[in-house]
Amino acid sequence: MTEKPTHIVPPRIVTVWFPDWPVTAAGFSADIPAAVMSADRVVARTPAAAAEGVVIGQRRRQAQRRCPNIELIDHDPDRAAREFEPIGRAVAELSPRFDVIEPGWISLAARGPSRYFGGDKDLAKKLLAAVAPDEVAGCEAAGGRPAGSGPCDRGVVVQPGIGIADGRFASSVAARLSVRRREPVMVEPGEAPAFCADLPIGWLQTLGESDPELVELFTRLGLRRLGDLAQLPVSDVIGRFGHSGVHAHRLASGADIRPASTTDPAPERRLDQVLDDPAAQSGAVIFIAKQLADELAGSLGADGRVCTRLVVLLETEHGERSERSWYRSAGLSAPAMVERVRWQLDAWINLPKGSDQELTGGISLVRLTPDEVRSDNGSQLGLWGGQSEADRQAARAITRLATLTSESAVTVPVWRGGRLPADRYQWVPATMVDLDGRARAVSRAGTGSGPSGPWPGALPAPSPASVFADPYPIELFDEHDEAVTVSGRGVVSARPASLRLLRGDASSGWRPGPPRSIVAWAGPWPVEERWWEPGSHRRLARFQVVTDDHNGYLVVAEKQRWWISARYD
Amino acid sequence: MRCANKCSYTRKMEQALALPELVALGDRVAPVLLAHERTLPVAEELAELFVEGGLVRGRILTCTGLAATSLALALVAPVVATGSWLGIVDLPTIGLDAASEFGLPLERVVAVNSEHGGDGSRESDDRRAHRWPDVMAAAIDGFDVLLARVPADASPSSVRKVATRVQRRGAVVVLLGDPGPATCDGVLHTEPLGWTGVGNGHGHLQQRSVVVQASGRRMPGRCRRELMLPA
Repeated sequence: MTEKPTHIVPPRIVTVWFPDWPVTAAGFSADIPAAVMSADRVVARTPAAAAEGVVIGQRRRQAQRRCPNIELIDHDPDRAAREFEPIGRAVAELSPRFDVIEPGWISLAARGPSRYFGGDKDLAKKLLAAVAPDEVAGCEAAGGRPAGSGPCDRGVVVQPGIGIADGRFASSVAARLSVRRREPVMVEPGEAPAFCADLPIGWLQTLGESDPELVELFTRLGLRRLGDLAQLPVSDVIGRFGHSGVHAHRLASGADIRPASTTDPAPERRLDQVLDDPAAQSGAVIFIAKQLADELAGSLGADGRVCTRLVVLLETEHGERSERSWYRSAGLSAPAMVERVRWQLDAWINLPKGSDQELTGGISLVRLTPDEVRSDNGSQLGLWGGQSEADRQAARAITRLATLTSESAVTVPVWRGGRLPADRYQWVPATMVDLDGRARAVSRAGTGSGPSGPWPGALPAPSPASVFADPYPIELFDEHDEAVTVSGRGVVSARPASLRLLRGDASSGWRPGPPRSIVAWAGPWPVEERWWEPGSHRRLARFQVVTDDHNGYLVVAEKQRWWISARYD
Repeated sequence: MRCANKCSYTRKMEQALALPELVALGDRVAPVLLAHERTLPVAEELAELFVEGGLVRGRILTCTGLAATSLALALVAPVVATGSWLGIVDLPTIGLDAASEFGLPLERVVAVNSEHGGDGSRESDDRRAHRWPDVMAAAIDGFDVLLARVPADASPSSVRKVATRVQRRGAVVVLLGDPGPATCDGVLHTEPLGWTGVGNGHGHLQQRSVVVQASGRRMPGRCRRELMLPA
């Protein structure tokens, strides 16, 4: 049953992870309840806020309900990247070669530094001392500490986690566990598969390696631990889940996130631009970076490849250099590359005055080197999950409209299903729906954008263009001006010949409007819903009726009364 | 008008200077983006109703007649299908099934009810009338296409404010019902000719032929087309 995965042992990786980095970057100390919001959701919060029950992914309202005095601040990736620069520099002192996966998350190859500093334990100690000096000195989290001028003068809100293991995935998990255990977590060489096997499968989602739908599906199938998934034969996994399944399987069995590419990318992939006239404005540098990134992503894309690790080198006319390697397992698109250059440049410009790597001249060289390239399997999304400018604008407008009117007045449709047009969709407050995920979920599964499967007993297309949540009462007559009735077995007493709209309400009596003659009709289509449940039992018959002014109506007979429930207009 | 001017100017310049390169350069650096270049796509059957071949950004259209809602949905569906968002203001009865049958992706549809007050209850008419232009302005800023209704008590000034916003932002607004004091760039009047597929007690509604008549100040000529809704 068990098929021994035939992968090479991935390189040993150290991961340094700062929990809730954006909130640290925003300058909050640990004892102030505060959270950083992005698209109306909490992306990071201080320990004080966490103690009050503020959870990542919560909406603004929920966070405020849990903790009324919470300070909320908008997410600014540039700020997070800028504040992270001193830490990057501190790590560079120990090991020049490291990857920034995102601000607050660094990974570096462990083998060299570990040998140099005398083992994994010492390396972890060194790293901790470099990135969070006061933590090692023993003082607790840095609440209320006056700002100094050291590399980490803000103080780190939470002690960073350090994990050492074979492969990026195991190492990232170890770093996150290390935050909880308050000590570096080390997985012995070769132990990564065993380490991974015991982990809940949700880690795939936590680290952004698999999408929530896939993880949910795994859970529903009873694969609750990574080990359960790893035990499945890889051919079965690829047959059932395709590429994303194999990726999850590879991680679960303790292999690296991507199989290491054994050949270096061809040298012509490296793109640089020498500026004869050094650029003193960051905008000009970004513009050049954008051209390079477009060209690089374009030429890689033409070969069906994507860059996962990009080395960005910036050099000034005075010979100062800033070199950073940026990693993203999903691959870097051209805008993502530009974003990385902007983060790096922004952080460099904002270094404190007087530090040894200070920027003194204009930028004269921009170089983008794709350090790690893999074949593009089509999972590439835009930087923010494929959100377009229109989507962002719409999200802003929704927030604005909700403040102008009320949250319940701004709604989006959600598929519910039913046999009457008014039942089929439900309007749900837009602020309660994850619009980003929704767009993706809808395009994938077909839920929400329309019926995903047949709905027996629903009326055939075309559907009415106007649907009335409160149907209009009418009277239906046959040729002899006698009311038409439908029997319990769905038989019509006579052919309907005319209808009259009723105005008013039940208490003050109904006033009939002028009669309209019926030129065509079809039906009845009886519906008996939830006959097993006395409270919500419904029994009705539907008709389509066309009046002499070419108006089409959906007419419903229920409890001896007639209603217009929709209009084909 | 502007195009004609430009052409005659171009000709004169060519004759006078005999420098076609210069003219070409002039054309290239001209900042003018003509109205017909700022269009949003429409369905093929409806394209011939518009001289520009599409919905021109910054315009307000009105659909009237007995098939107005279907026509409005058919108009906006291709735009939403290409990635724009649709805002529906004060039209709670729009049939979403019908919209989806016209090819409108419902995940980019947002409905707003401007009559709901801040506390969720209905308020005085005065407050509500004040809120309508603000709600419209916010919706215009956020969504490329809007389906809307002008409230009966809307003042000419508030309607004008909305129209200016539409032009500046380059959205397209399709009004349903009585446009009131709004000056529309185009009016699409629908006259259904009859349904097919339904008989005397049998069949079901299938298709309907509709005569659409386009008129209005930005719709030169009186264009009349007979088309099937749904196509």
